[in-house]
Amino acid sequence: MPRQVPHGHAPLRPGDGLTQPVWDAPVRLVHWLLAGLIAFSWWSVHHHHTDWHIWSGCAILTLLIFRLLWGFVGSSTARFSTFVRGPKTVFAYLRGGWSGVGHTPLGALSIIVIFLALFVQVGLGLISEDEDGIYTGPLSGLVSINTSDTARDVHELWFNVVLGLIVLHVAAIVFYRVRGRKLTMPMITGRAALDPGTQPMRPGKWWAALICLAVAIGIVRWIVAGAPPFGHWTPS
Amino acid sequence: MRAASFTFAACAALLCGCGGPQTSQANNAQANISNDSRDVNQATGSNMEARLSLGDAAKVMHARHEGMETIGKNFKVLNRELNGSSPDLAAVRASAATINQLAHNASSWFPEGTGPDVGKTGAKPDIWLPQNKADFATKLHNFQVAAPRFNAAVSGNDLNATKASFAELAGTCKACHDKYRTDMHH
Repeated sequence: MPRQVPHGHAPLRPGDGLTQPVWDAPVRLVHWLLAGLIAFSWWSVHHHHTDWHIWSGCAILTLLIFRLLWGFVGSSTARFSTFVRGPKTVFAYLRGGWSGVGHTPLGALSIIVIFLALFVQVGLGLISEDEDGIYTGPLSGLVSINTSDTARDVHELWFNVVLGLIVLHVAAIVFYRVRGRKLTMPMITGRAALDPGTQPMRPGKWWAALICLAVAIGIVRWIVAGAPPFGHWTPS
Repeated sequence: MRAASFTFAACAALLCGCGGPQTSQANNAQANISNDSRDVNQATGSNMEARLSLGDAAKVMHARHEGMETIGKNFKVLNRELNGSSPDLAAVRASAATINQLAHNASSWFPEGTGPDVGKTGAKPDIWLPQNKADFATKLHNFQVAAPRFNAAVSGNDLNATKASFAELAGTCKACHDKYRTDMHH
């Protein structure tokens, strides 16, 4: 009788027999770095470290651009094509008619909204200047003083939108936890127990991740260094 | 309301810009430095004058607010010009002169009795605490030294020297604001 050989991402060791990969390392890193940098951005701007706040925003922009690219070439659960779905699927999910790996249809909706809200927030920050005219966003020179001042006010108000979405996000995790689904550990370890018959995550290529990162850093560096058409920016 | 205050600030900027010192800025800078210790004593009311009447306090606070706003407005102009690829030197010089003039005026902006207990202001009451008076006076003094220096730097054509001097001036604003200014939202 032939020995049974595990295939695909089936467990190889008895210890982790119940879990399979669901989130790749880039997705998890982007998630936790975003959480940390958003907190740091909030802290730094409220403690007279507007310079750090601006750099933190640039780091967030790098992560967002990276994640956008990774959404096209990353692992199966990282790709927009696998989790951006229409309202029909969302309603089907709410009635219990959905199973799969990665973002649930409703979760995907929340992730897209958070992602867009963060892009808006960073965009506003790029063209803002502080009330005293001591600090300027890297692209503030492209707009008028009035626009820049207004952008700062909206940037400050828009943070409440971001905050509301974060609260909703955490509340959803607590809600699922109460109903017996643990979502935090998979976002740390990348692995979760899947329903039988569910396709596990197909990983992306590490070199594709490096290319995405290089492009993201390149674009942000381009903005910060003031290469054309952005003009020169002197960090305060 | 906002448009009105912008217009006022713009007019003030224009007036100050025209009336600002055009010649021998280096000499003016020297003169300001030697006058500063006296100015600073007036600034924090350390000569133990009686507290200002409410009307006078309101006048001082209004002048302070408008002055600070005009300084900020000119900083924004300077940021744009000095970060741009071809700075408009006339605009840079006008803003530097305005800031220099207002820095000089700032000596009379912080008498005792013009804190948040009297009216709406971004000035923290810490300014007038006995243990902070010397520190506040030093910080104001640093600003009043840096402003004429910057005004002198812009008279030349050395953009790098101008930028360095501008950074130094901005640093004196920040040093004081970090400690003595509340986060105001208009």
